[in-house]
Amino acid sequence: MKKIIVEGLKYKYPLSDTLALADLSFEVSEGEFIGIIGENSAGKSTLCQALVGLVPHFYKGAYGGKVFVDGLEVKSHSIAEIALKVGMVFQNPFTQVTGSKMSVYEEIAFGLENIGLPRLEIIERTNYVLNLLKIEKVKDHNPFDLSGGQMQRMAIASIIAMKPDILVLDEPTSQLDPAGSEEVFSAIQKLSKQGITVILAEHKMEKVARYCDRVLLLNNGKSVDFDSPEKVFSRKDLEDHGVVAPVYTRVCKALGVKMAASDYYPVTLEDAERALRGRME
Amino acid sequence: MKSISLYVERDSFIHEVDPITKMIYILFALLIPIILPSFTISFLCLGISLLLLVMAKVIRKTVPVFSFVFLVLITVVIIQGLFKPENETVLFQMGPLAMYKEGLLYALTITLRVMNIVSSFMILVLTTKPSDLVEALVRKGMSPRIGYVIVSVFQIIPEMMSSMGTITDAQRARGMETEGNVIVRIKAFVPLLGPVILGSLINTKERAMALEVRGFNSRAPKTYLYEEKTYTHGRLVQSVMLLLVVGAIVWRIFA
Repeated sequence: MKKIIVEGLKYKYPLSDTLALADLSFEVSEGEFIGIIGENSAGKSTLCQALVGLVPHFYKGAYGGKVFVDGLEVKSHSIAEIALKVGMVFQNPFTQVTGSKMSVYEEIAFGLENIGLPRLEIIERTNYVLNLLKIEKVKDHNPFDLSGGQMQRMAIASIIAMKPDILVLDEPTSQLDPAGSEEVFSAIQKLSKQGITVILAEHKMEKVARYCDRVLLLNNGKSVDFDSPEKVFSRKDLEDHGVVAPVYTRVCKALGVKMAASDYYPVTLEDAERALRGRME
Repeated sequence: MKSISLYVERDSFIHEVDPITKMIYILFALLIPIILPSFTISFLCLGISLLLLVMAKVIRKTVPVFSFVFLVLITVVIIQGLFKPENETVLFQMGPLAMYKEGLLYALTITLRVMNIVSSFMILVLTTKPSDLVEALVRKGMSPRIGYVIVSVFQIIPEMMSSMGTITDAQRARGMETEGNVIVRIKAFVPLLGPVILGSLINTKERAMALEVRGFNSRAPKTYLYEEKTYTHGRLVQSVMLLLVVGAIVWRIFA
């Protein structure tokens, strides 16, 4: 089943002369883990926001084409309705703190109170996400007293608690150290394995290569490629689009080592190791 | 984190009482002296409020508030004592100025009223968390949006102040004079405003988006993480206060 269908999406921010998204079309199946890559201002964040309805409902501006998420047309439904299907985590964890709750625990429950879940369900889900993102220790702290990384995990937890079918993450690990972002990625992968569709805009290419099923490469609001990480990162014109391939791919490219029985370079550490060992033998 | 709310965490039965009962108490303490305008009643009401503040173990926190209020009230006493039009009976003479009895009595009435209002409000403010108060009101039908605005102010204002501190430090590190006479301080203040105001506008936009995706505008009836805070004798206390108000009105009309 197609979870997300984007048909000829065009969007221009108010007061801007250029299209932020220019004629995008793609489809995503249920349970897929999709990475969105591209240089800054390529349209990654705008596309993420178009999937939850912030584009066009929050910003207004000129909008064309169609976006369906889980069968709902984004343009004709309110953000609150879409929010039940699609959860979105933003880049800046600081501004995702509501400011109306005194503890991390209450903060995570905020969204669940808004959508009117019964009390016991709220408690159960809140405890589950605290555990999933490993922030039980700080559950009684004030949200503003957390470190950047803890705040980011809290932001992710708050959205996951709402149990969306589709999870949209806009650079969710920008404030995290390598160990912390690894933890967050494995939590997201766990959800992905449970059947949640994940859309991830990210600059850490090694993570994209490792976790994503397919990668959407954007440049100037246009879709350049939408394919498996191996195919996208093996493109010769990758750097013209402002993207640097994962370090493993670059090493193998320099050495001219392709994956066994394929025309593409390896993109993860394991594949690169296998390919290089294969050549040595 | 620094808090701008006056709430004091203490273990007392006043803290247990639900916010609605405390709000009704404010109305009660306000109405009774208006219905029965005698000094005895006013003193009695004030006495009860002060007693409750003592029992809530927060009486010391009222000192700064009361001292500010007294500052205002002293001007009332002086002006009324000297210049009230009905002034006739000279009480005492201070050089060329005479203090009159009528004016002073009138000033005493005002003082008692103000003290009454302030002390009953203090019971609510000092012993109730702002978030509990707002939640109680939202449950009674206040719009959750207005509730959000009220509660978030208590956290976002201190946040803005701390980001202002960070910006000041950053500018000081780049050699800006921030200490010295008034002119230097004012000069140091101006370049702060841009980053602080623009920064908070951007933050507000992003926060609004984050609220949207968390169902803030959802039409579903809101539920609550915590069970409604109820005080066992809440109903009783409220009924007694209502009866007393009705009694006072009857007393006023027939006696």
